[in-house]
Amino acid sequence: MGSSEERVVAVIMVGGPTKGTRFRPLSLNVPKPLFPLAGQPMVHHPISACRNIPNLVQIYLIGFYEEREFALYVSSISHELRVPVRYLREDKPHGSAGGLYSFRDHIMEESPSHIVLLNCDVCCSFPLEAMLGAHKSYGGIGTMLVIKVSAESASQFGELVADLETKELLHYTEKPETFVSNLINCGVYIFTPEIFSAIEDVFKQRKERANLRRVSSFEALLSATKALPADFVRLDQDILSPLAGKKQLYTFETLDFWEQIKTPGMSLRCSGLYLSQYRHTSPQLLASGDGTKKATITGDVYIHPSAKVHPSAKIGPNVSISANARIGAGVRLISCIILDDVEIMENAVVIHSIVGWKSTIGKWSRVQGEGDYNAKLGITILGEAVDVEDEVVVINSVVLPNKTLTVSVQEEIIL
Amino acid sequence: MKALILVGGFGTRLRPLTLSVPKPLVDFGNKPMILHQIEALKEVGVTEVVLAINYQPEVMLNFLKDFENKLDIKITCSQETEPLGTAGPLALAREKLIDGSGDPFFVLNSDVISEYPFAQLIKFHKSHGGEATIMVTKVDEPSKYGVVVMEEGTGKVERFVEKPKIFVGNKINAGIYLLNPSILDRIQLKPTSIEKEVFPKIADERKLYAMVLPGFWMDIGQPRDYITGLRLYLDSLRKKASVKLASGPHILGNVLIHESAVIGEGCLIGPDVSIGPGCVVEAGVRLSRCTVMRGVRIKKHACISSSIIGWHSTVGQWARVENMTILGEDVHVCDEIYSNGGVVLPHKEIKSSILKPEIVM
Repeated sequence: MGSSEERVVAVIMVGGPTKGTRFRPLSLNVPKPLFPLAGQPMVHHPISACRNIPNLVQIYLIGFYEEREFALYVSSISHELRVPVRYLREDKPHGSAGGLYSFRDHIMEESPSHIVLLNCDVCCSFPLEAMLGAHKSYGGIGTMLVIKVSAESASQFGELVADLETKELLHYTEKPETFVSNLINCGVYIFTPEIFSAIEDVFKQRKERANLRRVSSFEALLSATKALPADFVRLDQDILSPLAGKKQLYTFETLDFWEQIKTPGMSLRCSGLYLSQYRHTSPQLLASGDGTKKATITGDVYIHPSAKVHPSAKIGPNVSISANARIGAGVRLISCIILDDVEIMENAVVIHSIVGWKSTIGKWSRVQGEGDYNAKLGITILGEAVDVEDEVVVINSVVLPNKTLTVSVQEEIIL
Repeated sequence: MKALILVGGFGTRLRPLTLSVPKPLVDFGNKPMILHQIEALKEVGVTEVVLAINYQPEVMLNFLKDFENKLDIKITCSQETEPLGTAGPLALAREKLIDGSGDPFFVLNSDVISEYPFAQLIKFHKSHGGEATIMVTKVDEPSKYGVVVMEEGTGKVERFVEKPKIFVGNKINAGIYLLNPSILDRIQLKPTSIEKEVFPKIADERKLYAMVLPGFWMDIGQPRDYITGLRLYLDSLRKKASVKLASGPHILGNVLIHESAVIGEGCLIGPDVSIGPGCVVEAGVRLSRCTVMRGVRIKKHACISSSIIGWHSTVGQWARVENMTILGEDVHVCDEIYSNGGVVLPHKEIKSSILKPEIVM
């Protein structure tokens, strides 16, 4: 197949509202895929990585949020990338393979030779061009991005075993109880259109099994409460795992960073990872300053052009400031995400926190988290329109939208 | 006659319930909180109710269209663009409240439940000829509130004392007023407090009167008071020998069960329970001092006390839910789980027990 016949379609799974309760309270105001990391919506990072794919013809976002949540973003990003980006809404969750399969007509519309499948809540360098090259040389129906992690953390993910030389996928298990391997599935895949036949086979097998067996009443009770509906097909367990060892699936290892963005704490960490990536890919996005005309900047910092930062403030490392925010004199910001329209008054300090849209932080107040991105109250999160009064201290707490804090709090969730 | 109901803002104290609907639409005794007030107003001849709100008018307006038709009363919203306090909203709704008839208009705080003796209030107001009448209620601990000091026989208000340190009286402002239109000349369109700025002036002019609210009173703006309020409300239904209360061998004390709810065999329900439309309570369930909202399923052998179960939630078999557990909309407590004061946000599944009060997001 010459490159003139090559056409690539990218598909990004974005999920939907009932799935993401772990991302509260931020998800109370914005769909998780649109929450900003390093100044750009979460979904923007995988979309942006797709730019590097030669012969990219279309990008699809598949999820079960309402269309109107994505309408604005999708039209502006299509315009910017000059590649059509469309949001396709599932009527209900079908699992990652089910979702891909239900929109196969759209995906195959441009007769792509390759399909890139990404999960929106994966934070990594998305080495798609190199991965595509590797996939073509392997000649299988799919290639998955893999990474080595510590043995202890591996059990949270899909563990896999790959042939050291051919890189073929030999074995795959999802969240095993005993140790299988410290090589895990990153949630980034490249497929040829044959993947749809593989998914279709699974549907057929399920139908046949359902017809053949006379289900006893006890089994029927079990299946009603335990099993997933017949049209819920998971990519990893139901499709890839059975194909392991059959010379169909291959692996491509990344040595760069990789994280899953499941909680607000992780979004702060991943914002930092993307900011440090900007140093190589888009250094013009990072702020600079030494306290004379512009504020002192240390480490990787993103400041939206419309935000105003007083020159006596010190910002960074790992700070992202969104549109129309106002940072007052003598403010110190370390490891935080400051969302749109926030006002931070003089001499306030914000560390390891996320400050929600339109919130205000009073003079000399201190908003701080411990910095444990995985703990339930490891960073401080202020929801939309939260007002922290002067001199108040907020530590390791989560505050829901539209609250005013008049006294200091620690380790609390405030509804 | 007209009425203004001060609905205000986000109802954050009643979260997680108010994460699903605006506070006035949270059900109390099987109907939206605000409907209790609107029905009582309709009964004394109020033809138009204005809701002073500062957010989510669309959700409110949809519901209100429904009530407008059923009750044959006009309901409109007056939306604040900035918080106007407790008096500012009156200025904002001025055009709607003055109809040239010179009739006084009601102002109610939306969180308050009581017997709403509006006919008596109108009679008293006409008899004293003052400019404003406020209802007051007796409380045990007046220094938590603003106390109204009034003349014994006439009810003429002498002064207001905010959180008094020594005992000056035991009557506090109940949040129900009947005001002459002339009061609107005293209120500017800016954040103003009716208790701190407007009423004291009228009291100085000896034109403010207070009437003691007969019957029960409660501010149900937070879960603990909501549950206490339900007890008082059901008690008042009992006193009126209301047919709405349930009866039978499986009923203890005052219990309200919607006609479309289904109750299984061997249950013991009450005291002080309300069960909403479409609920299914399976066999062997014990419910006491709790509110079960629309569409909830309580599975067999479960035991719930002093809690609020939000719309369309389920409580599993043999689960025990108690001590101010508040389940938001669509929360599913698995079988055999124990919740001691869990406050659970909407759309969650509780798969492990909550041993001490905590918020589950």
